[in-house]
Amino acid sequence: MTVVSERLPALGQAARRRAPLSLVLDRESVFSWLMMALPLLFLAALVGYPFFYGILLSLQYRPVAHTGTFIGLKNFITNLHDPIFWQVTANTFIYTGVATFLKMVGGLCLALAMNQHFRMKNLVRALLLLPFIVPTVLSTVAWLWMLDPAFSVVNRLLVALGWPKPGPSWLGNPTLAMVSIIIINTWRGLPFYGITLLAGLQTVPPELYEAATIDGASGLQRLRFVTLPLLRPIILIVTLFSVIFTFADFQLVYVLTHGGPQNATNLFATYAFDIAMGAGQLGLGASIALAMLPALALLIVALTIYMRRV
Amino acid sequence: MAKPASSTATSRRKFLKYAAAGATAAISRPWPARADQKTITILHESSFIKPFDEYVTNTLAPAYEKETGIKVVYEVTSVGSLPTRISTIAETGSGADIAMNALLQIIQFGEKYLDVGDLAEEIGKAQGGWYDAGREAVQVNGQWKAIPFSNIGQLMNWRTDWFAEVGVKKFPDTWEELYEVGKKLKAKDHPFGFELGHGFGDNHGWLYPLLWSYGGAEVAADGKTVVIDSDETARAVDFCRKFFKDTMLDDVLGWTDVSNNKAWMAEQISCTNNAESILWFAKREFPEIGKVTDQAMNPAGPKGRFHLLNSISHSIFSFSPVREEARTFMHWLMQPKQLGGWYAVADSYYQPLLHGYDNAPMWNVEPRNIPYRDALANAHLPGWPAPASRQLAESVAKYIVVDMFAKACAGASTKDVIRNADAQLKEIYRSA
Repeated sequence: MTVVSERLPALGQAARRRAPLSLVLDRESVFSWLMMALPLLFLAALVGYPFFYGILLSLQYRPVAHTGTFIGLKNFITNLHDPIFWQVTANTFIYTGVATFLKMVGGLCLALAMNQHFRMKNLVRALLLLPFIVPTVLSTVAWLWMLDPAFSVVNRLLVALGWPKPGPSWLGNPTLAMVSIIIINTWRGLPFYGITLLAGLQTVPPELYEAATIDGASGLQRLRFVTLPLLRPIILIVTLFSVIFTFADFQLVYVLTHGGPQNATNLFATYAFDIAMGAGQLGLGASIALAMLPALALLIVALTIYMRRV
Repeated sequence: MAKPASSTATSRRKFLKYAAAGATAAISRPWPARADQKTITILHESSFIKPFDEYVTNTLAPAYEKETGIKVVYEVTSVGSLPTRISTIAETGSGADIAMNALLQIIQFGEKYLDVGDLAEEIGKAQGGWYDAGREAVQVNGQWKAIPFSNIGQLMNWRTDWFAEVGVKKFPDTWEELYEVGKKLKAKDHPFGFELGHGFGDNHGWLYPLLWSYGGAEVAADGKTVVIDSDETARAVDFCRKFFKDTMLDDVLGWTDVSNNKAWMAEQISCTNNAESILWFAKREFPEIGKVTDQAMNPAGPKGRFHLLNSISHSIFSFSPVREEARTFMHWLMQPKQLGGWYAVADSYYQPLLHGYDNAPMWNVEPRNIPYRDALANAHLPGWPAPASRQLAESVAKYIVVDMFAKACAGASTKDVIRNADAQLKEIYRSA
């Protein structure tokens, strides 16, 4: 009470007139919505609108700079008859599957190694993040040089080790080109996995390891029965993120091969871009981009359900 | 308890008050006063030749402003981003008044461009007439959708010193002769390098001419009938396979447009197909290589000699508020004084499509560029003899013709690659 009686004379008439409004604002329910309004508006404008516009586009015959006509699912049917679309689908699944697996295994090893005590631990941890920090386009250009037959560090090494000159054609051979983009994506995504899993490892109580050791568990058994079960929620979350990013990857392929040779590295995002921007078929391009959605949605739902059970 | 609650409330109210005040201030801040001066914005792709862009900002724009009081803004966009930028402008109806077009923009955005036929005819009449290639590049259904500016041709680039090592002093006249030379050069560790990957231009630059010179074509002149499945195409594909296998590096299958330039400067290849940039760059950065680099017209096949038309042109957006001023500006820009000066700063990287410049001094600067002028006589857009269309744009974006050749080089049978291309083209042209 004392507080209020002190304030009233100071604020005078104005405060009394404003009182109803401030009381309304004081309500938790009103205030929280007020605080959330801006982010929600932001999301609606920058995520919701493009998303629904994309769906609308995919249902139209819509050449660029031309009004669209509604054609239902025709674009999706066109895609079903397009051999490149099927190749792109297979490419995207292989790329995402292999790269994510490599990142998961590699990331776990990295995290386990980083969790040991050694000199300059913090510096090494910071350096590990480099591939993730450098802009993708920049690091990809560096890879472009490393895989170039004339200047390739990789090939020079191989030739020095006895491989016939000029060494493998990393970006010219369809299989090797896919291997190359998977390796580069893994290289780039590994630190994300490593650092996140490391954070998870550090939350594992040391007592559990001590108890396991006393029970006679070997190093491998401690990993299998203590570390992995406790890390599972984090592994799932990181995998979810990684799959989404890898599935929708664009920059790496666009810079390195532009989908070549003979579409061997063309992914959903790069193909959709070529059709929408190169061919000027916005509707068809949107339908290709949206073809990613069912697979990703299914994965997200499945992982979420699984995590609820854990 | 009362005190903390009330203090939170106050800080919340304060926060809201400040936020609201800030937002209001941001919204109500007066816009910068609009000058009465009119402005024409012209969008251009960044030129490989630096003085070319500088000539507009430093010479042409100030001169026009002095003469008419109208400000000319020359906006440069990075290489490869032009189609995306024009898409945005055409979709939103704002951003620039004049745009440079590359290969396929005219057919994609033609409906948003002014018909500038009267202007183009007048310019042509005054300056020796247009090349047929100029008309082919910008006309849609008989309407001039742009004013042709130039071609950026693609020619054969060859190493005179290495060719001489196998006894060749003059560039071979036919594909078969070139093949024989290539075999010898590859044996001497000087392979050829022609792009067969997914670049923007250096792949189409030689593969369409190769197809045409064997008598093959993608679509008939009606723009509807797919005619790729022919004996002529099969012969071109067969030639391409052996040409790749016996003369080239394996890596060309994965090349993009920078790759052959890089390989040239690394002295890795002895012959390629490229625009003038290789010679230009070699002369400036690697003079020793520049000395032994020469350029020649594409070899002929059984059905003649062809080149790819890679023209650039200027269009005026029909929704531009200053479209009349833009017309006047284009008329001024295309007068010999301005146009000739602009061509001249780039030597002959930009090859005029007006016969009036056939013997201009710009051709004397570098005689090795003269084949670019002569190549204009048989240069065509991809998809020729069909007129350019949306379907063609799709075929190019899907690399149908490039990949037909590339798959054959990678080992697929001629019959299979042609059948695939045929099926895909029929799917695309169904809507024509």
